[in-house]
Amino acid sequence: MDILSSLMDGFSVALQPYYLFLILVGGILGTVIGMLPGLGPATGVAILLPMTFSMGPTASLITMMGVYIGAMFGGSRSSILINTPGDGAALAATFDGYPMAMKGRAESALAISAIASLIGGTIAAVLMTLMAEPVAGLAIKFGPAEYCLLMVAALSMTVSMSKGNMLKGFLSMCIGLAISTVGIDGQSGLQRFTFGVLELQTGIDFLVVIIGIYALGEVFKSFSTLGEGGKKAQTKFKKIWISKDDWKRSKWPILRSAPVGFIIGALPGAGGTMASLMCYNNEKQLSKNKEEFGHGAIEGLAAPESANNAASIGAMIPMLSLGVPGSGTTAVMMGALLMLGIQPGPLLFAQHPDTAWGLIASMFVANVILAIVNLPLAGVLVRLLAIPPKVLYPIVLSLAFVGCYAISASVVDFYILIILGVAGVLMARLDIPTSPMILAAIVGGQMEQSFRQGYRISNQDLSAFMDSGIAQGLLLVTVLSVLLPLINTIRSKMVNKPA
Amino acid sequence: MIRLKSMFTGIVIATTSLISTNFAIAADYPPHTINMVAPAGAGGGWDLTIRTVAKTLKDTGLVDANMPVVNRPGGGGAVNLSYMQTQSGKGDLISVYSPPILLTNLTGLTQYSYQDTTPLARLITDYAAFVVPENSKYKTIKEVMNALKQDPKSVKIGGTSAAGSMDHIQFLLVAKAAGVENLRNIDYVSFQNGSLIAQALGGHVDLISTGLGDVAGLVESGKLHALAQTADKRIGTGLIAEIPTVKEQGIDVIFENWRGLFGPKDMPKEAVAYWHDALQKMVATPEWKAALKRNGWDDAYQDEQAFTEFLADTNTQYKTLIKSVFGR
Repeated sequence: MDILSSLMDGFSVALQPYYLFLILVGGILGTVIGMLPGLGPATGVAILLPMTFSMGPTASLITMMGVYIGAMFGGSRSSILINTPGDGAALAATFDGYPMAMKGRAESALAISAIASLIGGTIAAVLMTLMAEPVAGLAIKFGPAEYCLLMVAALSMTVSMSKGNMLKGFLSMCIGLAISTVGIDGQSGLQRFTFGVLELQTGIDFLVVIIGIYALGEVFKSFSTLGEGGKKAQTKFKKIWISKDDWKRSKWPILRSAPVGFIIGALPGAGGTMASLMCYNNEKQLSKNKEEFGHGAIEGLAAPESANNAASIGAMIPMLSLGVPGSGTTAVMMGALLMLGIQPGPLLFAQHPDTAWGLIASMFVANVILAIVNLPLAGVLVRLLAIPPKVLYPIVLSLAFVGCYAISASVVDFYILIILGVAGVLMARLDIPTSPMILAAIVGGQMEQSFRQGYRISNQDLSAFMDSGIAQGLLLVTVLSVLLPLINTIRSKMVNKPA
Repeated sequence: MIRLKSMFTGIVIATTSLISTNFAIAADYPPHTINMVAPAGAGGGWDLTIRTVAKTLKDTGLVDANMPVVNRPGGGGAVNLSYMQTQSGKGDLISVYSPPILLTNLTGLTQYSYQDTTPLARLITDYAAFVVPENSKYKTIKEVMNALKQDPKSVKIGGTSAAGSMDHIQFLLVAKAAGVENLRNIDYVSFQNGSLIAQALGGHVDLISTGLGDVAGLVESGKLHALAQTADKRIGTGLIAEIPTVKEQGIDVIFENWRGLFGPKDMPKEAVAYWHDALQKMVATPEWKAALKRNGWDDAYQDEQAFTEFLADTNTQYKTLIKSVFGR
């Protein structure tokens, strides 16, 4: 009851016309920033930061919330339409979103993405209102051992999901792991694979890997057909909406993925990318039409979209209730709060209830507003598909390079980008799945560092990795993810044998 | 025709801008544009410092030049340091640095050091803080040091930076001053993904070595307990002012996470004199004092001469330590 009345007070703040306007403006800005590859919510919020000093804490936070959630909505637009994720969290949206667009179902893809985002975000905001404290408590139970096993579980799920060939998936993962080792090693302070290039000391940003493999790879792949003028993917457009059947298929994936995404998002350092990839794999495992995944299955888009927005709200928990930023974006937001004289953390709700509850209410409001804004916006964006490839691809190329430069302001990354683009084409030719490589590049560094942190803290005792219940649970998931597909294969062979 | 015309305009603009920069450096300082460089991405401590300096100088009218802030990240500042070598002798680039400019050189990550720049002024400082979870068995920094003397593996130290960088070195400086031997055997664990404070809250590491500014809020909320800080006096107000210095506990050392401004090597004399003047005036302005207060920074102004001497002393101190711990 107490929570409810506080939340109502929050809504009375967030629903004032001035704040609604700020959410709307922030949301549209965020959507645009989110769509551009390389520019994610963290950059968007950082750019806005100086503007917010004059606005007062509540207004400034609410605007940032609009940008943050807007970027989460926007990130997957470019995944679906040009196979280039706006940021890491939108990666999973390329798996089935882009194939849907290629099959002429871009309208449904864009619609389900907005709907799933809305539902996922709203469920997470409800969970946040009710369970911020216990989830924060769970998040700090994750020590190095649990982080390491979480990464192992995510990787093994992706590898074992690889279409047909687990060995090729494993190979792909190894390339990704190799990429993740470049740079200064945190635990020893030594350089690895930097070849005397200063820019490599900070490692290869996983966004460069994503942009290279997907955006450049896609453009390079089309070189062979471009001479024929290339065909437009689509010229006639329907209303941005989904069919009853689509909804029936996506309903449960959306509802299941939201809480999972929320909890993974609340772990400092895990984030939306992990959350959306894990939920994608979950759905693939549970689905009756496994073979459709990767070829435009609507539930394969709905699940990660729901998870990704839920995770972005989960990421607010460590910041608001512990004073620990859980992601790049929340770190920037926390910096802004501190500058405004507000200390996030356990005392926030007691000391600044209007700001804290206003912020939570604005999560609900921002999700609704952005879903409303995004549906007509999608109607405009979908016309991208009517642009002939020989016009569209140069635009994609320049966006890829600009986005890459925005990440690290380094020309060295251009070379890496081009090499990865070629690698993307080769991998497609050889039928090697790219998602294990991407996920390994994202989580590999942290998996290794967590392992060595845990190993050092336990005085080189490996059994420390099985001490906690969380660790045992994650180990079980890992083992199952490898065994289940194996059992399935054997079973289908046994069934086929008599025939 | 149109193409020719635009090409012509381009050439005119390019030449005039070339002439104006050359002219400005030769004749009078400041030039039209001075690039203010943060050797890291937007949003961090270096970035905030250089932006605050540029804004204060502009708002107070002390420097009448365009001062765009440029982010040149990479290699913990080493990428920008290499770039500065190509600008030596020029006066239109000012960069911010802190102790890593010494450490990246001493640990061999870059061949360039502070001696390949022109130090202009030290401006502000933060201090190291050593923090434990609220239910930790350690109540004072002395107890931690005694435990380490018994068994260097008994206390696991967490920090954000990589091994051999600031969070690690600041703890080792204190441990060395406290008489701990075998510094090399102390386990330092680096958490670079931003989860350090959560790791401390969850009790996964025994002690974290970090900046006083980074943990101030959590210490105030009582979830973490700060054993000591490394200033030469008590800092701040309230609970923060209750954190004892390591000196008070009989460990005779201070560690400052200073931030200062540097120009390229062999900066022209008139440029150095100009910045001496401008920065000395800036630190006395109410605008700067308000910025210090807002960001929780401690004033640590030194002019170029005092700063250069300070850098030489500190460099020797770190060099001895790094040699004894890492053997390089």
